Amino acid sequence: MSSKNEWLTSLKQPLNLKKKKGLIDFVIQLIFLILTIISASFIVIIIVFIGKEGIKPFITDNGGIGNVDLIRFLTGNEWLKGTAFKSNLYSVGFAIINTLYISLLALLIAMPIGVLTALFIAKIASKKLSAIMRTIIELLAAVPSIVYGLFGSGLILVFVYNLAKIFGVQSQGGNSVLATILVLAMMILPTITALSEVAIRSVGKEIENGSLALGATKTQTNFKIVLTSAKSGIFSAAILGIGRALGEATAVSLVAGNAQSGPSLDFFKTTSTLTSIMLQGLKETVGLDYDIRFSVGLVLMAVILFSNLILNYAKKMVGNVDVK
Amino acid sequence: MKKLVLLLMVLLSVTLVSCGNTATWDSSSKITLYTRDTSSGTRAGFMSGIDYAEAAEDDSKLSAGFVTKDNTGILTSIKTDEYGIGYISLASLDDEVKGLKFNDVEPNVANVINDTYKLKRPFNYVTRALDDFENDREKEITLAFIAFLHTTDGADIITNEGAISLPSSQSWDDIKSDYDICSLDNSDITIKFGGSDSIEKIALALTAAFSPKCGNFIPEHDHTGSSDGFKRTQGTEKDSANYKHIGFASRPFKETEKGTDDTQGQLAWDAIVAIVHLDNQLDNVTAEDLKKIYRGDYGIWTDLLG
Amino acid sequence: MSMSNKRKRKDFVLQAITYAASLIGVFILSLIIIFIFKNGVGLINWDLVTNDYHAQYYNGGINEIEIFSKTVKPSELSESDFYSNKWGLALTDDINREGRAIVVVSYLANDSPLHDMYDKNDLENNTFALEIGNIVSSIKFENKESALSVYGAEKMINALENETEFREIVFSSLGGGIRGSLITTLYTIFFTLIFALPTGVCSALYLTEFAKNNQFTRIIRGMIDMLTGVPSIIFGLMGLAVFVPLTIRYTPASGANILSGSLTLAVILLPIIIRSTEESLKIVPDEYRFASLALGANKTQTTFRVVLPSALPGILTATLLAIGRVIGESAALIFAIGTAVKDEISIFGKSTTLAVHIWSLMTDEPANIELASTISIIILIIVLVLNLLVKLLSKAYLRNA
Repeated sequence: MSSKNEWLTSLKQPLNLKKKKGLIDFVIQLIFLILTIISASFIVIIIVFIGKEGIKPFITDNGGIGNVDLIRFLTGNEWLKGTAFKSNLYSVGFAIINTLYISLLALLIAMPIGVLTALFIAKIASKKLSAIMRTIIELLAAVPSIVYGLFGSGLILVFVYNLAKIFGVQSQGGNSVLATILVLAMMILPTITALSEVAIRSVGKEIENGSLALGATKTQTNFKIVLTSAKSGIFSAAILGIGRALGEATAVSLVAGNAQSGPSLDFFKTTSTLTSIMLQGLKETVGLDYDIRFSVGLVLMAVILFSNLILNYAKKMVGNVDVK
Repeated sequence: MKKLVLLLMVLLSVTLVSCGNTATWDSSSKITLYTRDTSSGTRAGFMSGIDYAEAAEDDSKLSAGFVTKDNTGILTSIKTDEYGIGYISLASLDDEVKGLKFNDVEPNVANVINDTYKLKRPFNYVTRALDDFENDREKEITLAFIAFLHTTDGADIITNEGAISLPSSQSWDDIKSDYDICSLDNSDITIKFGGSDSIEKIALALTAAFSPKCGNFIPEHDHTGSSDGFKRTQGTEKDSANYKHIGFASRPFKETEKGTDDTQGQLAWDAIVAIVHLDNQLDNVTAEDLKKIYRGDYGIWTDLLG
Repeated sequence: MSMSNKRKRKDFVLQAITYAASLIGVFILSLIIIFIFKNGVGLINWDLVTNDYHAQYYNGGINEIEIFSKTVKPSELSESDFYSNKWGLALTDDINREGRAIVVVSYLANDSPLHDMYDKNDLENNTFALEIGNIVSSIKFENKESALSVYGAEKMINALENETEFREIVFSSLGGGIRGSLITTLYTIFFTLIFALPTGVCSALYLTEFAKNNQFTRIIRGMIDMLTGVPSIIFGLMGLAVFVPLTIRYTPASGANILSGSLTLAVILLPIIIRSTEESLKIVPDEYRFASLALGANKTQTTFRVVLPSALPGILTATLLAIGRVIGESAALIFAIGTAVKDEISIFGKSTTLAVHIWSLMTDEPANIELASTISIIILIIVLVLNLLVKLLSKAYLRNA
């Protein structure tokens, strides 16, 4: 009898356990879900907050100055026509183009360097060398952006100024599109490298071994197979990189020259980005001239969102081998 | 590994060499204008000093292609740019750029004090309205501090910090008997200072020196810009968490920032200097010259130097 | 054979390109390090790290003097030490950490009357002495202009030597230390990681291990991705509008504080941590998961005991990147933590991190590029130390595992 009971309980135990297991899984999953939703909800808080402030200049009369014309704001080629604090003729059309142009070129420079460095660290370098390189990249990531700005205005500007001279161009103290691109490329390089490295390391050994077994050399495998398989992660790195480039403010405002109109496509001309416009005089200004910076911030976020969407679409187009 | 190091050295030296080359100064080159942004007090002081006040807050009045930078940005750019011209605060002037005489007067402290050097801007303060203090002790300390600003002791500190103090005749010792609050222990009282960044260093020095003279009250500094000077003492944020007892502005108060007379005043002058690259042949400018340069009548250096 | 040679050459070129690319990163870092060392190495010493930022000021007065000093200028003093026979005091010119000219007491004779000053700010007028190393900012006289440090030590000594009394001597300790900002930075790193790491890692675990591939997950993922694109200055404004009032309401804080700054930084870090954790979770082979599940472990056990440990190196990398970002962030913190440099640090009080300290120095007029560079060096050293520390820890962990 007792043995039968024992047998019964032993039969039931796994079932009970399974139920309990299910409950734990459910609770854990719920906690994780809540934390995930919290993480995701911050973007809503930010959009609501910036949106509330940023729309104000367009729908109120701004203390008698009159409301800002949205179409003019988005398409014009001069930051402010007329006297500050008295005029409502603001526009950032040129700065949108500048921002995209500069960030894209910075990404074009930083991407190949970053991905190749990542490949070097993950696959080519010896263990010791790759540890050193990784530390170097992490150090670069930790350099405060104000220091990149300090470095940029102390060294990059001089470099660009002399470079322009070699080309027979008189630049404005080196404050230029090129200087901005170079500083931004430096700043996003560590982000791109670090994330690409993780992506490259995440490529399954079996894919690599397959390629090697088929007679490909190690280098061939690295470039053809590993990089291709890691492209989803590399795209994520690009998305983070361009996000940082589009949104960087302090360093950019020290080397861009803060042109008040544009767009500037010439490498040696001064320029200005959405962030440099936001930052310029932010602490000393009042009234509409202050509120409008939030509108610029709103435009900036739209630009970033837009470019993220495009990159995400591109990411999907190139296909993702290993995304679950 | 050795090869790597070698290559690195070569790259480094190429960069360093490329930064060091110099050429002769060519007066047929374009003038590059450097300016502060429209919210800057220095810009307002400079533009009204060269009789071109309409350009203080209006970028379209300036010759196209100008570069907008902050004080340090202008200074470092002029060190590189042989053909640039800009303006900075006198306290920032160093010997790596050339500070121009203005209407034949050398830019220095003595000439500002005797009022021959005219290119300058005021440093102002504003306190809370006198009936708007949380308690009398805070109000008494604030008033004592303002009185201290106008003593020779206050002036000494302002001079030490590189600004130009206003003339004063009384020392703190002469007037301290009028401020009984300072003979008490005030170490439980916090007085909040804010407003202009440009005045932060001076304000810090003033409060550090004054606090031990006035019962060791705790000065708390949070300088976020001239417009916050009024905003956080008597304006829209006077009752917010960011409220201040005393605010500073590195420019004249705007019409919207007028409080009662007994709450606002001037503590110092700051001289503004037009600067050019050391290789520049120019030594002296007139207000008229600067106006023509910034308005765009002069496009290349030959226009000015002949 | 020729085919294989061609292949070899091509491989060599490709490999050389990766070397070259890596070299660029090394090159940039070298340039930055050379640049900040050139500017900032002069100020680097242990005192900078341990000193207070705010100098303590003293106001000394003196009673009528009967006996002046008889000590002649000691031979060990150099020409740059200006000496007053009457007062037995030597002053010398120096530059402080802010780059300003200061006057320092370099010698005080034993019979100097300056040993018996009284403290003008003390109600009992206790006596106190000037000490070597004190910074003299001004000496004030009755009916005569004050001698100020801005005009140099020589003029100050000459003015003093000509007088038999003075009204007040203002002197102070050497301020400008960064101890407070350093402590604030460490606090900020700690609290930011406490908020961001669990939230970020759990979110990543949810997204890779639990979430179904449906519309909801895609939206959530999209929203987190969008967060990466928000510029830090906007995070700062958000922190000012959301976290600062929140901490004021529920803690003793009265303004922007370390907690509000850390919360803001945590939001900035979330997408970075989630992304890198996700990437490293993907490395973990599915066989591990299946094996664990097949052995009877539930999903939670599998996640915590099998998946998470395998992903740990990736999470460590993410943490390091995050620490780097915390140390380097200034734009957001200007609003979310404030710019007030403090010596007494409380997590609910005002203070500022090293990066914002640099920012303050750079926006000063004139900017203090030397000290800004010195702090940058210190930041790089901290990052390097943390980096090596985490690597040692992870090595030890892997050995044990």
